[in-house]
Amino acid sequence: MITQPAVRGADAELVSASWTEPEAFAELFDRYSAMLYRYVSKRLGPEPAEDLVGETFLVAFSRRRSYDLAYADARPWLFGILTKLISRHHRKEAARYRALLRAPVDSEVESPADRVAAGVTARAVRAELAGALAALPAKDRDVLLLIAWGDLTYEEVARALGIPVGTVRSRLNRGRRKVRAALGDTNPMEEE
Amino acid sequence: MDDLKLLRDLGAELEHQPPPTLARRRHRLFTPRRPRRSGWWAAGLVAVATAVAVAVPVVLVGNRHEPERTTAAEPVDVSGTRNVLVIGSDTREGEGNAEYGPGQARSDVGARSDTIMIVHLPADRRTATAVSVPRDSIVRIPRCGSARPRVGMINSAYDTGGVTCLRATLEQLTGLRLDHTVEVDFAGFKDMVDALGGVTVTLPRPVDDKASKLKLPAGKWLLDGEKALGYVRLRHYGDGSDIARVKRQQSVVVAMVRKAKSALGEPATLEALLKEMRESVKTDLSVESMYQLATELSGAKLDVVSVPWVPHPDDANRIVWKQPEADRLFASLR
Repeated sequence: MITQPAVRGADAELVSASWTEPEAFAELFDRYSAMLYRYVSKRLGPEPAEDLVGETFLVAFSRRRSYDLAYADARPWLFGILTKLISRHHRKEAARYRALLRAPVDSEVESPADRVAAGVTARAVRAELAGALAALPAKDRDVLLLIAWGDLTYEEVARALGIPVGTVRSRLNRGRRKVRAALGDTNPMEEE
Repeated sequence: MDDLKLLRDLGAELEHQPPPTLARRRHRLFTPRRPRRSGWWAAGLVAVATAVAVAVPVVLVGNRHEPERTTAAEPVDVSGTRNVLVIGSDTREGEGNAEYGPGQARSDVGARSDTIMIVHLPADRRTATAVSVPRDSIVRIPRCGSARPRVGMINSAYDTGGVTCLRATLEQLTGLRLDHTVEVDFAGFKDMVDALGGVTVTLPRPVDDKASKLKLPAGKWLLDGEKALGYVRLRHYGDGSDIARVKRQQSVVVAMVRKAKSALGEPATLEALLKEMRESVKTDLSVESMYQLATELSGAKLDVVSVPWVPHPDDANRIVWKQPEADRLFASLR
C-alpha cells in the first residue's frame, strides 16, 4: 500500500519540498490522514469523515505555499483546516450528540463488574457528556475537543485556530466547567 | 473524576477506524489520473441550470418592485408543490454547439444529458431542494416509445428517448411527479455568462486542460462565457473527483447569482440577461410561469443534495442508488 520512508523528516520539510515537487505532499497524507479521520469520526461519525479528510488535504495542498516553515509540526495547521470544515456540519454534530442522549447504554460491551470497578465511566455518563457537548458554543467545543480528542497542546490549539493561548485557556476552562456542571460537578475541587 | 478523561473515553467510544478507501483517496489526491473513460467530457451544468430555473429569475424578478410584466391573458397556475426536471445537455447539434465537439457533432449521436437534477419546490416555497442525479447511475429504464424496458445508465434514457423518456424513468424511480422540464446546453450557458458580463472565479492552481480548452495561471479571473464553460467542464483539476467538479460548478453559480444581483441596477445588463435566459434554455415553463415561480421563490433558500449512491458492485465506474437512503430522500419530497 503505502511505503514508509526510511527517514522521517519534519512536516515542514515536506511542505517546502512540495513547493517544487507536489508529490511530496502525499507523505503528509500518509502521516496524518488516519489521525484526522479518527478525529472527525468522533465528532461527526464515519460517513462524512472520509470526504472531510480528503477536503482538508486538498485545502492544505492549495495553501501549501503560505505554510509557515518555522513550525516543524503540520498537525495544528491540518487540524485548523479540518475544524473550519467541521463547522459547516454543526447541525449534524449537535444531532449526533443528541442521539447519544437517547441511545440506550449498551451494557453487553462491559460487564457490571467492570463498571463498578471503574467507578464512573464515560459509558455510564454518556448522556450527560453528550448533552454538555451539544450545548457548548462552537468555539468552546472546538477548543475542548481539539484537546480531548485531537490530543493537541494549548499552544497547538492556539496555532490551529489562530487565537492567543490565553483565549484557548479561557475557552477550555469554560467548556470544562460546563461539562463538569452537566456531570453534577461531583468534584469541584479538582482543577488541573 | 476527571472530566477530560471521561471525554477522552467517550471519544474512544465514538471513534471509527479509517476504512481502506481512505488510502485510495490519497491516490486520487496526489497522483495524476488517467481519463476515466473515453467520453471526452461531461459538463455538469447542475447548479448553473438551477440558477437558470430558480435563482436568476428569483434575483431578477423577486427584487423588482413594479413588475412591468403583468400576468398574461391566459392565467397560469404554478401553485402548489412543483418538481422541475433540469437537464444540462452536451448536445453539439445546432449553431454554436458544434464547435465544442470537433468531429463529434454527428447528428446521429443525439444529445447526452450530462447533468440531471430535480428541483423540488414545496408548496410554501420556503426552501427549494435541488437533487442532483449522478449520470452514471445504473437504473431500470421503463418502456419509452419503441424502446423496450431495460437496465442501463440513466443518461442513456435521455440520449435515446429524449426528455420524455428521462422524465418517465425518473418519475418511476422517485415516485415524484415531474411537472416541468428545463434543458440547458453549452451554447446557452456560454451566452448566459456573457450576458452577465462574465463570472469571477479563483483558481488555486494553474489550469492547462486540453479537453476543455482552458489555460490559465493560478489566481482570480474574470471568465467570459467560453472560459467559464471550460471551467465547469474541467475534470482533471484539483483531486480530479466528481465532487470537486460539482463544487466548482456551484462556485460558478454563486458567482453568476452575485453578478445577476449587481445587474439589478443596470437596466441594459438586466435586459440582455433576461433575453439570453429565455433564449438559452428549452423549457415547457412559460415566461409567465417562470415569473410567477420566481416571485414566490424570492425569499426561498436553495439546498443542493445528491442522490445517495454506492459504487456498482460489478463496475467501479458506475454507481447504483443507495437504499433505503435514496427512497427516503424522495419520500421526504413527496
